[in-house]
Amino acid sequence: MTEQARPEGIPGVGFQGPYAVGVYAKTLQERMRERARVQLFGEVFNMRRGRGAKVYFELRDGDGAVPCSMWRTDFEKLGPAADAVVDGAQIVVAGGPDYYPGSRTSSPSFSFQVTGVRVAGEGDLLAQLDRLRKALAAEGLFEPQKALHRPVLPHTIGVVTGEGGKARDDVLAGLRRRGWGGRVVWAFAPVQDRHAAPRITQALQDLAAIDEVEAIIVARGGGSLADLFAFCDETLCRTVALLRVPVIASVGHHTDRTLIDDVAAVSCSTPTHAAESAVPLHCTEARAAVARCAASLQRHGRHAVVVRARALAQLSRAPAEHVARHRGRLHQWLREIRAAGRRGCERRRGDIRTRAVVLERKVGAAGGPDAEARRARLDSLAAAIGAHDPERVIARGYAVVDDREGNLITTAEAARQARDVRLFFADADVNATISETE
Amino acid sequence: MNETTQHTYETATARIEEVIRRLDSGEAGLRETLDLCKEGRELVEFCAGELDAVGQGLEELKLDELVARLEQRPPEAQ
Repeated sequence: MTEQARPEGIPGVGFQGPYAVGVYAKTLQERMRERARVQLFGEVFNMRRGRGAKVYFELRDGDGAVPCSMWRTDFEKLGPAADAVVDGAQIVVAGGPDYYPGSRTSSPSFSFQVTGVRVAGEGDLLAQLDRLRKALAAEGLFEPQKALHRPVLPHTIGVVTGEGGKARDDVLAGLRRRGWGGRVVWAFAPVQDRHAAPRITQALQDLAAIDEVEAIIVARGGGSLADLFAFCDETLCRTVALLRVPVIASVGHHTDRTLIDDVAAVSCSTPTHAAESAVPLHCTEARAAVARCAASLQRHGRHAVVVRARALAQLSRAPAEHVARHRGRLHQWLREIRAAGRRGCERRRGDIRTRAVVLERKVGAAGGPDAEARRARLDSLAAAIGAHDPERVIARGYAVVDDREGNLITTAEAARQARDVRLFFADADVNATISETE
Repeated sequence: MNETTQHTYETATARIEEVIRRLDSGEAGLRETLDLCKEGRELVEFCAGELDAVGQGLEELKLDELVARLEQRPPEAQ
């Protein structure tokens, strides 16, 4: 430690000093350690076992709290009882106040240096919290918020959070991740200490009173259960349960379960998730989906008209096409009939020829071997008959006479008697009258 | 447009999906198709309007500022 020149004190102030702060801190440590060793009892909060040389926790009751620390070696000597020293446990500790004076690079701290522990039972505060949770559940106050309609695309969102907390940035990041660009109404309130619960309650009521606010996010980052105890306040939780606007709670980490998580419409593990839950719709994707719907509707409308117009045009052409089709079919049938007729004639002609050949062969066969002789006999008979043919006689210059009634006249007497006769010559007949008498 | 003004974004998108399903089925006649397309277009416009309302960029207000702004609004606008 370097010696420092002592500066002048504050004029008009009669206190001793000024002393170098390190000297004073060490003196304070000595004074603390001189104080009587005592036993305290209370409820364990915010137990931190860590990996360091000491374990830390707070001892609380309804009126106050003391930060406690215990050497890890002493804590582990407790054996199985050490595992019972958890948040909410009611314990008795032995020890006394201590003060760590800090240094240029480390912060000072006050703690009750614990040298002995006895677990006395479950803590009152957590037991009270459990009783309140059951009472609210029995009254049905966990349900109203969950029955509220949550718009998928709110225009205005209220947010209750600490003004300087990281939760604020996380909420904004979550909203931006959704592509949401609506209106955020901040209602800043302390999110830990004894003033927090009434201020948060008031902020919620104020936000819910504005018609435009469609959802409210209550956000706070992680902390010890003691830090989050404001969100277990009975008045706050009853107010949330009866609000007309859905409340999305994100208080502490996912392992912490405060009463507001139970009564709210939705409980989220982080402020970012709370923001995404307040705007369930991913706006960028929704814009693309709406554009797709618009295109689909346009396509359907156009398709419905075009298809029907084509159908109508086709129907209007149908009669002419029908007639043309039938005409073509008739022409085809005609060609087929003609072809069939030709084929039939050819077939019949062939049959007849075949039959003629057969008949000819049959005629030849029927004549037998004497056919030639019979034919020669017939020819001679015909020549004989021809020799007696009166026609041939007439042709040689003779004439045949009848009485004009077909009775031949072969004598002159008959001719005279008949008087009117007919003379047959080779070329014609001539009527004649017999004028000679006997 | 009276019908679409009663819609929320959820009901509007649900109805659009219903309309498109009906159109996709191919069972709607010409008159019904044209009516569905008209209704669908109106709903799409409504949804696009809703998205536009939250697409202008995030606006941050403190509660007091919003209350003051609402108090300044003329009574007929409220």
